[in-house]
Amino acid sequence: MQSETRKVTLSAILRWFDPRKTEAGNWAFILNRVSAIGLTIYLYLHLIILGKLAQGPEAYDSFIDIVRDPIFVFGEFLVVAGGFIHGLNGIRVILNSFGIGVPYQKQLFFGLMAVAVIASVIIGIRMFTV
Amino acid sequence: MSETWTIKYVIYREKKGQEPKFEEFSLEMRPEEYVLDGVEKIWAYHDRSLTFQHACHHSTCGACGMLVNGVEKLTCITKIKDVTENGGVVRIEPMRNFPVVSDLVVDMSTFFSRMETAKARQVVSLSESPTDSGIKREPNAADDLYRLSDCIECGLCISACPITATNPEYLGPAILAAVQLNGLDRFPELLSWVDNADGVWRCHSAFECTEVCPSNVEPAWRIMDLRKQVVSRRVKNLFGMK
Amino acid sequence: MSKPTAIVIGAGFTGVATAHDLALRGFEVTVVERGPIVNGTSGRTHGLLHSGGRYAVKDQESAIECIVENRILRKIVPQVIEPNGGLFIAITEEDLAYGELFIDGCQQCDIDIEELTPKQALELEPNINPKLLAAFLVPDGTFDPLRLALAFAATAKKNGARFKLYTEVENLLFDGQGNVVGIQVWDRTSGERYDLHADIIINATGAWAGQITQKVNSDVSVTPTPGVMVAYDQRLIQRAINRLCKPSDGDIVLPQRRMMVVGTTSFTVEDVDYVPVVEEQVQEMLKRGAELIPGILQTKERGAYMATRPLIKESGPGRSISRTFKCYDHKVVDNVDGLITITGGKATTLRQMAERVADMACEKLGIQATCLTAEVPLISYREYYRLPN
Repeated sequence: MQSETRKVTLSAILRWFDPRKTEAGNWAFILNRVSAIGLTIYLYLHLIILGKLAQGPEAYDSFIDIVRDPIFVFGEFLVVAGGFIHGLNGIRVILNSFGIGVPYQKQLFFGLMAVAVIASVIIGIRMFTV
Repeated sequence: MSETWTIKYVIYREKKGQEPKFEEFSLEMRPEEYVLDGVEKIWAYHDRSLTFQHACHHSTCGACGMLVNGVEKLTCITKIKDVTENGGVVRIEPMRNFPVVSDLVVDMSTFFSRMETAKARQVVSLSESPTDSGIKREPNAADDLYRLSDCIECGLCISACPITATNPEYLGPAILAAVQLNGLDRFPELLSWVDNADGVWRCHSAFECTEVCPSNVEPAWRIMDLRKQVVSRRVKNLFGMK
Repeated sequence: MSKPTAIVIGAGFTGVATAHDLALRGFEVTVVERGPIVNGTSGRTHGLLHSGGRYAVKDQESAIECIVENRILRKIVPQVIEPNGGLFIAITEEDLAYGELFIDGCQQCDIDIEELTPKQALELEPNINPKLLAAFLVPDGTFDPLRLALAFAATAKKNGARFKLYTEVENLLFDGQGNVVGIQVWDRTSGERYDLHADIIINATGAWAGQITQKVNSDVSVTPTPGVMVAYDQRLIQRAINRLCKPSDGDIVLPQRRMMVVGTTSFTVEDVDYVPVVEEQVQEMLKRGAELIPGILQTKERGAYMATRPLIKESGPGRSISRTFKCYDHKVVDNVDGLITITGGKATTLRQMAERVADMACEKLGIQATCLTAEVPLISYREYYRLPN
């Protein structure tokens, strides 16, 4: 019985990504979930890195050398972008939850996501050039 | 004579104890005809074992909700020309988030049970009913007149809701919208039922319910408004106000 | 003593009301329906709760049935009725002349009417044709067809009736003497075939009645008479707006939810399983509807569909046939016992049709039980889904 419930849930989660449903609100919902999962994973990675400090300066420095690699920088960029998306969309959800701007939820979504993209690009340029 | 299109209907089939499958039927349809007409034609002329729900054929009963090319539609008011083209495909599946009984027929008993608990009314006074702009209404007489409510209990919002998909305990858009329409002041006993992890706070603002609602109910807006009602009710209770 | 058993074939208005009536009279009822509830004519009615005014001139038997049942339904099932009344309005001189007959007819049938001046009528309904010449207020209403049927079905279920949907009758079962004792059915949800037996079998299949009666080689039949209905996406009126004239094409516009429905036409067909919508008739409805409510031209079509009336077979064209109903005991008509056919009638008279057929069933089986349906309020239609079958 339980495994059956789980199967239903898994297929239900996959349905979040059903490309036939392309309305703004649903994309916001999907983006919020995905960015939340990404940020949660990052939080744990971050804690592991902080744990390196406890192993002394050498261990930490050698680790920092690895994460200077552009692939890791790109990963950090995703964290920043995810933070903007999740945070700004969260503002929309909070506003909507209290009945503010509900008729304009689509415009609000696109506006806030535009802000997220611009902010991410600016930060991204700084991250890769400095 | 008006134009006819050749349409391929791809229909979800599921019978007790058998694996679900899709079956194809080729139909001649006028682009002005409705998707439900095609389903009924398949039953009438091609396969008498096809089961589907329908009654009024003009969007007052809410029986014929299905997925049409992946999107929730009330099939009796969805024209062929709005979902496909000549030579195109119409893919019909049962609504999501309901157990399938047979083919396109789903079991909506939990949904109706919750609507009943929500004390959803079908007949509402005109003054409570939203109206399209520009309609003249007789002055001062509104309270004596009634009409059938906007919500036709088709279940499309439940089918489209991504929260219901992962949490069947979530009350669902139509139910919360019905509570909002009645108002918690009218039925304060419903407060704890909706002010709950599976109630009004579970909604994550995906707005799919409002997108698919064929009847202008705007459940998403109503859920947001119900949150305000809940908060105001709680504050009033805190200070012992009525 | 065990309960008398009955099978009702068809879960249209007549079938569900009959199940309710028989269940109240202590029968063990099984309703067998080949599709979902009210998938045929009943579901596709425009939903007018007739005041009887439409029939008060030419078909007073139907008119009286309508007004009596109108009052009862308002009492027992207000949960699905827009009770706002209706208007009969005259647009042409010819309509105006019909008004005299209309007043007399309504008086004879005990239908309460109130004559309004055109100005008063426009105050009530600002969107009707401003050129109207006369208006009468009548106690019409609008109901939701599916929910009306479900309310009857739910109450029947509460009293023990069982519903077998998606279950088609394939054959009748006979005893040695050629009398009907049961049915053989095909469950379309599983493909299974099985037999059901009962003391009495009631054929309530409306426009499809001939498909059952031919199995006992009976001449009892109906004239399937479809008409088009067109729904528009705005509600410009709060009451049913009838054309003050003899029954004719496009003689009514009904409010329903946020819509209006215009009906209807009348022609006869042989095959009733699928009746395609005739585009010309849809255009005709728009034209006729606009004569009553000019603003309809600015609305959008929301749906168009055909509903097939089960008119009792008599000579004469569709509109002249009475809209009343008839019960046939096949013992009397064809010397085949165990089967009753009920057909004809209209949505508004569903309860009375059920009363009549249940009376006949009781009489045949020698059961003393009075009809209670005029008094017993129906439970919530949603209970149909909640109650176990």
